[in-house]
Amino acid sequence: MWNNVVLLGDGPLFWEVRDYLGDYHVQVHTLDQGLPKEVHAVIDVELDDEQKKKSLRLLEDHIPSDVPIFSSALSRTATEIASWLSHPERVLGFSPILFYKMKRLEISLPLQFEESQLQAHLLFWKEMGKEMEVVGDEPGFVFPRMVALLINEAAFALTEGIATKGDIDLAMKKGTNYPFGPLEWADDIGVDVIVTILNGLYRELGEEKYRPAPLLKKMVYAGYIGQVAGRGFHTYKRTSSLVEW
Amino acid sequence: MQPTFHRLAVIGAGTMGLGIVEVLVASGFHVQLAEASKEIGSAAVNRLQKRLNARVEKGKVTAEIVEAMVNRIQPVDQLEELRECDLIIEAVVEKSEVKEEIFTALDKITSPDAILASNTSSLSITSIASKTKHPERVMGLHFFNPAPYMPLVEVVQGLQTDPQKVEHMMDWVRHLGKEPVKVMDSPGFLVNRVARPFHLEAYRLVGNGVASKEQVDRILQDAGFKMGPFKLQDLIGIDVNYAASTSVYNEYFQEPRFQPHPQQKMMVESGYLGQKTKKGHYEYVE
Repeated sequence: MWNNVVLLGDGPLFWEVRDYLGDYHVQVHTLDQGLPKEVHAVIDVELDDEQKKKSLRLLEDHIPSDVPIFSSALSRTATEIASWLSHPERVLGFSPILFYKMKRLEISLPLQFEESQLQAHLLFWKEMGKEMEVVGDEPGFVFPRMVALLINEAAFALTEGIATKGDIDLAMKKGTNYPFGPLEWADDIGVDVIVTILNGLYRELGEEKYRPAPLLKKMVYAGYIGQVAGRGFHTYKRTSSLVEW
Repeated sequence: MQPTFHRLAVIGAGTMGLGIVEVLVASGFHVQLAEASKEIGSAAVNRLQKRLNARVEKGKVTAEIVEAMVNRIQPVDQLEELRECDLIIEAVVEKSEVKEEIFTALDKITSPDAILASNTSSLSITSIASKTKHPERVMGLHFFNPAPYMPLVEVVQGLQTDPQKVEHMMDWVRHLGKEPVKVMDSPGFLVNRVARPFHLEAYRLVGNGVASKEQVDRILQDAGFKMGPFKLQDLIGIDVNYAASTSVYNEYFQEPRFQPHPQQKMMVESGYLGQKTKKGHYEYVE
């Protein structure tokens, strides 16, 4: 019943969701390839807010008003994303981070959400093997927000010269059993994604504690966004092995 | 040449002190263990012996090895007895006045070449060193609990510490079979500082109604953390975690990123400290 899904966005987040849906034999369509006759769900992983707004609005003109729209609410609340649309009551926020690996899927609901449709909309992900965690509507959900703040603190510590990159990663794995060092984790998720989450928290919650480390912002300006670029905190060869720079 | 020290001492036979002693004697070193009285020191050695005997029963180590380890410990009750040492590791209570008194005394009785290290996890190495006449030989040697099993050791360089002595210590810690990281003295050093958001943001997520404690733990565990922040706090003690939070916050002159959460204080005031009180974020029935 969920054969046709429209996927918005690009880059690693797009590839990960596309591959996952492919495993469940879902037909994934994109805006530039033209839409199928029937659309069962929309999934949006666009990182750029302006592009996100544009794509969602464009798409909304071509799909029925009851098709659920799952939008990655990493830097905006689901409520704000919903407010861009004529039918905000069918928008749900979802976390696309570690999408393939995590069994649990974080979902947030906009203020405008039509609660009576919740179970029907969540059925989509249930059939894709996910277990839902419905969380409150603040940018970045639980895991993306947490990992972004750990990476931010590690970036501040590196900036201050407290320790080397390699030692920061080593210390957090050996001293507290984190699965990855924060800097290698940033390279894996994408420094641009981390800055997007921090910017969202900083803007929407308006608190100093969410201020992105200047180093992270500079890395995005320079294009050092991690594994996908071959360079982030560490450098990567095609085999994606870790090399210090 | 193997980096080494010849006469070692540990001051304080609490959990950390005794854990460090175990690491040292397991590597073949003889260690003087300083405590307020010989009785306290001997009682600590007995505790260690019991713990090691349990491992003998499980067949993890031989009785001969354990006997040799325990025989390498010499309990003493006077700091003066440590005057010949070239490495002294202090692991007493986390109170600056107590540590300062010890370092001032050690500074006078030891050779200026001896290394005076503190296992503090929250006090400034620079501040402790500043109370001595030879601050260049004072550094942090921060083992993690339980010291015999946690591989990481933060080697902390204070503002006045001789960088060469720090490098020598790094080599020696590697020689012990541990993984050292060099950290410049700063509040919370490296691990306790970078891990702060794991605890503080967890409280904020719950406080803002974004998620329940169970949800936060479930989600973060699913993402690859061995334990969620609330389960972890119950294990390490909510009071211990709160003390670390307030210390880093105040040492950073109230930097907002390190702001503790009112719920932490209320849990501590209510005696909900975690597993040790059978009730923390979760309840533990016997």
